[in-house]
Amino acid sequence: MSRRLQVLVALVLLAAFAFGVNRFLASRQAHIAAASSPVEAKPVIILPGTLYLASNGDLFRLSHGTFTDLHMPKRAGTWMQPAVVPGSQNIVAVARQDAYSEVYLVSGTGKVLQQLSHNKTASATIQLNHWMFWPTVAADGNTVYVSYDAPKSPQSYEIEFAVWKGALNANLAARQWTTPFSYTGGDTESVPLANGNVLYAKYEIDGGNVFSRLALQTSPLRAPVYLTDSTSDCSQPAVSPDGTQVAMICGNGTGLQSTSLQIASLTGSTLGPPRTLIAGCLCASPSWAPDGSGLAFLNPADATGHFQLWWIAGAAGALPKKPLQVTYGLDFDGTSPPAWAP
Amino acid sequence: MNSRRRRSSAYRRHGWVRRIGVASLAALCVAVSGGAGALAYFFPAIVTALKVTGQTIHPQSSPGGDVAAANAADASTKQPFTLLLLGSDNDAKYGGQLLTQSMILCRVDPVTKQVVMLSIPRDLYVPLSTGGNNKIDYAYSYGQASAAVATVENDFQVHVDHYAWIGLLGLVNLIDKVGGIDVVATNPVLDDFYPQDLTGNNPYAYERVAVLPGAQHLTGMQALEYVRSRHGDIRSDFGRSQRQQQVLLALRAKAKLLGLADLPSIADAMANDFNTDMSLSDVAALLPIASNVQLANVHQVLLLPPDTSSATVGNADVLMPDWNLILPEVHQYFPS
Repeated sequence: MSRRLQVLVALVLLAAFAFGVNRFLASRQAHIAAASSPVEAKPVIILPGTLYLASNGDLFRLSHGTFTDLHMPKRAGTWMQPAVVPGSQNIVAVARQDAYSEVYLVSGTGKVLQQLSHNKTASATIQLNHWMFWPTVAADGNTVYVSYDAPKSPQSYEIEFAVWKGALNANLAARQWTTPFSYTGGDTESVPLANGNVLYAKYEIDGGNVFSRLALQTSPLRAPVYLTDSTSDCSQPAVSPDGTQVAMICGNGTGLQSTSLQIASLTGSTLGPPRTLIAGCLCASPSWAPDGSGLAFLNPADATGHFQLWWIAGAAGALPKKPLQVTYGLDFDGTSPPAWAP
Repeated sequence: MNSRRRRSSAYRRHGWVRRIGVASLAALCVAVSGGAGALAYFFPAIVTALKVTGQTIHPQSSPGGDVAAANAADASTKQPFTLLLLGSDNDAKYGGQLLTQSMILCRVDPVTKQVVMLSIPRDLYVPLSTGGNNKIDYAYSYGQASAAVATVENDFQVHVDHYAWIGLLGLVNLIDKVGGIDVVATNPVLDDFYPQDLTGNNPYAYERVAVLPGAQHLTGMQALEYVRSRHGDIRSDFGRSQRQQQVLLALRAKAKLLGLADLPSIADAMANDFNTDMSLSDVAALLPIASNVQLANVHQVLLLPPDTSSATVGNADVLMPDWNLILPEVHQYFPS
């Protein structure tokens, strides 16, 4: 081989090496893995009943260990917060736009049956739009509770959620049910109980502390009965199918990046001493299995921060099983509790 | 015979020397080649880093002296140091005069990995280092980082070792670059008068914002809404300050994912929206400290009433400081 050729080959090899080093460094970047679509995932266990979950602006059904994309219409907005309609195959769900959100009645297969709210204003004054979140339907299959930012003066800075009562077959926000504290964010995540009371999270700000307490509303606009204290900072109540247990997410007033998943017995308007199932997590949105066999919730599994579905079998019992991560590589909406149908 | 043997031995020695020389040259070429590959990878980041770090500031009437020239304590010397974090809008709404929407004074101990974060309310009515009295967020507007640092040093009687400034878009890009952050939203954060100055054509327009409560994954823009919104919060700026500290902690958690190879993309994301007087080595030394600090070792301080009280000056709503309460509290954590 001539010397020139040798030099040429050497130069090419060196250039290739330089390129290789460059690409190697590029490959060492932190890989912020994009989440998969739930339909590509296989849950590690088969959960009872049918779950509806929100991910990436769409709704998915999990039944018999298989996810199905409901292909909700994107033009309606970001789909979230599904809730079952007892006694039917339907769900209600929120579709969120930039300045308002609407509640829809949706079939179990994802067909939009009816727009239940009309929160978009025709006016150019954006403050005349409204939000509705966390719709829940009572056992009668018609009574609805929803968190709604009530109509107000468009010049006012004040805006907070109150729980409103309505009906699927009439006005969704027919009557204001709770009185929120001003400028706190208000009242959220209502759960209708069998005795007609409504359990919800009530936000409050006292000095520098912001916290939520579980509150029980026994009649409209009356002072609520508080079930938890300010220091435990609990919200996101989920009541077991037999009505005897409440799962909740508590921040314990840390104001930091940590929550705990707790359960407590519910007797009338009294909550028993809480038991912590998981501490030091980013747990969110608990939801009981319809047969009471366990508790599902959302929690990130790794540093990507994407929320996965978790399950605790026998959560209401004296010896609950260890939390089990049900999905991997997905990204569920932490603010959308799984809706669970029998 | 002997001379032939000597020649052969010399030839062998010469051959070894030649081989060693060729091997050394080859190794050098490979090293240079690899270095060139690495340089090509890091070059944009180096250019950006040199541009945004090591900024010289010129404090006006500051008792702390020239920050850049004071041989200040920093992460690389393992001495506790004080860092002033400045966050501001970076649109043209105020004719290019940027206000600091966020001022957080941090005391970092690299050895014990303890961090204290003191949020300074933007509406705090104080003497400015540039002269006169005004809200403290105007300090940056009148004299950029120099004036902001000097004002804090003068009014709080502390020594600031370094500052770091980040614009809104820089924060958004940084959070998106790390794949979003996880935040436990303290309460529903609702705002009907959130400035629409980063999107749309009218910087004076408003948009509606609703960040729902609880643990969730936020994109850069959602995180910005969470830390910037204030109209629907009875604590107004105090609530915002608390949320800003939360987001810093969430970013800290994400810093664990990052390594040296991420510098170019991060530098690219923040190129026009970040600057600091820290040197590149100081920044490099600070990153592992930030990622290793435990939440339990982070002490958060807000200047709530009675440290401050609401008042009106002219047509402006301001917060009047009670220095008799504030200074002893501040000096618990921040040396003068």
